[in-house]
Amino acid sequence: MRPDDGYRLLVQGVTDYGILMLDPTGHIVSWNAGAERIKGYQEHEILGKHFSVFYPPEDIATGKPDNELAQAVIEGHLEDEGWRLRKDGTRFWANVVITALFDDTGTLRGFGKVTRDMTERRSAEATLAERRRLLTHLVEAQELERRRIAWDVHDDSIQAMVAVGMRLQLLSSRVPEEHRPTLQQLEDAVRTSVSRLRNLVVHLRPTAIEEHGLVTALSGYLQDVVAAWDLGTSLSAELDHEPPVPTAITIFRICQEALINVRKHARATCVAVTLSTTDGGTLVRVRDDGIGFANPVREDSFHRFGLIEMRERAETAAGWCSVESAPDAGTTVEFWLPNPPEQRAATR
Amino acid sequence: MTADRTKLTVLIADDDPMIRMALSEVLAAEPDLLVVAIAADAEEAVALAAHHTPDVAVLDVRMPGGGGAHAAREIRIRSPRTQLLAFSAYDDTGVANELKRLGVREYLIKGVTNAQIVSAVRRAGAAVRT
Repeated sequence: MRPDDGYRLLVQGVTDYGILMLDPTGHIVSWNAGAERIKGYQEHEILGKHFSVFYPPEDIATGKPDNELAQAVIEGHLEDEGWRLRKDGTRFWANVVITALFDDTGTLRGFGKVTRDMTERRSAEATLAERRRLLTHLVEAQELERRRIAWDVHDDSIQAMVAVGMRLQLLSSRVPEEHRPTLQQLEDAVRTSVSRLRNLVVHLRPTAIEEHGLVTALSGYLQDVVAAWDLGTSLSAELDHEPPVPTAITIFRICQEALINVRKHARATCVAVTLSTTDGGTLVRVRDDGIGFANPVREDSFHRFGLIEMRERAETAAGWCSVESAPDAGTTVEFWLPNPPEQRAATR
Repeated sequence: MTADRTKLTVLIADDDPMIRMALSEVLAAEPDLLVVAIAADAEEAVALAAHHTPDVAVLDVRMPGGGGAHAAREIRIRSPRTQLLAFSAYDDTGVANELKRLGVREYLIKGVTNAQIVSAVRRAGAAVRT
C-alpha cells in the first residue's frame, strides 16, 4: 500500500471529524465518513456542490462562506465556531478549521476543511455553566440568610439574655443568703448561653474576614471556637496575598465544614490548617490525627461525612476538593480555589 | 430634674428596652449613682445629654439615629463635660478603636458583670469630678 493510499483510507474512515477538500472556488471535491455522519449527505450527493450549503441563511446573507475562504488564503488557515446546517435542515454547533492548500509554486490548489460537531459539548457546557450559576446563587443566598439570622440572634437573643443576666445579678444581691447559690447557677447558665450565642453569631457571620482578612478570621475561629472542642489547633499561612472576600468566605466555609467534621467524627486530639499560594490560587489543608475512615473516595463516604458540600462549594468557585483518609491514620481535607484573573496576573 | 450633686449623674442610651431597664436598675441600685435620663436612640441621647449635661453617658453602639458613634460625636460638642462609655454587644476592635478616637473612655462588652459596669461608670465619673 502506498503512503498516499494509507492517508486516504485513514481520512475516509475517520467518523468523529468531517474531513473534506474544496477546490479553490469552494466546491467540494472529497468527502469522508465523518462528514457523512455529521452532515447527513452521502458522497455522491455532495461532490461538486459549493460548501456554502452547510451555512445557515443569515451567514449566506453576510457572505460568510466566501469571507472564510478569503481569510484562510490570507492567514493560511481559519478557525470558526458557529451554527451549520445538516442535509435535513437541522442545525448543529460546529467547530470548523479551513486550511488553504498551496502547491510548491505558491498557487492555491484548494482548501482542507475539518468539521467537528460540538453540539453535545456545547450543551454540556451550558448545563455546567447553569449549574454553577445556580450554585453561586445558592451560596450567596445562604450567606445572606445566615447574616440575617446572625443579626437577629445578635440584636435580639443575646441582648435579652444579657438583660436577664444583669437582673439576676441584681436579684442575687437582694435575696436571702440561702437562695444565692441557686441564683448563681442561673446566672452561670445565662452566661454560658450568651457565650454560645456569640459563637453562633461568629459561626454564621465571619465578620472578621471583611475587616481583618482570612488568616485573622481563621485563626480567631480556631482559637475561640475550635479550641473549645478540646482540640489542639495550629494554623500556618504562606500566602502571597489575601484572597478577595468572596473567595475568602468560601475558603472559610469549607474549613468550617471540615473542622466540624473533625469534631463530629474524627476523635482527634489536634487539627492543623495550612494555607499556601499555589498554581495561581489558594491551597488549603485541614489535617487531623483522628481515627480516619476507609475508602474516602467512595461516593457514600462523601455523603456520610458532608464532603459533598465541601466539594460543591469548591467546584462552584472553579476549584477542587479532595479527601485522604485511612483507618487510624487521620484525615486530610485538601482543596484549592483559583484567585480571580487580576490576582493571577499579578502572581505570574 | 435637679441632680443631687453628691451623686454621679448618668445617661443611658440603648434601643433594646430590656437592656435599658436592666442597666438603669443596676445603676440606680448604687447609692452614689443617679440615672438622670434614658434614651432609646442616638438622637434622643444627644438631646437629653445637651439638656442634662450628665457626668457619664453609657451608649449602645448599634442603635437607630446614627448609632453610638454619632451620639458620641454630638455629645462631645453639646455637653463636653460628659464622659462617654460604650456598651456594646460586639467584640469588635475596629469599632472600639473608632469610638475611642471619638472620645469614648471605655468599651464594655455586653455580658460583663454588673460590678464591672458600675466601676467603669465610677472611673469615668471620677475623671469629670477632678
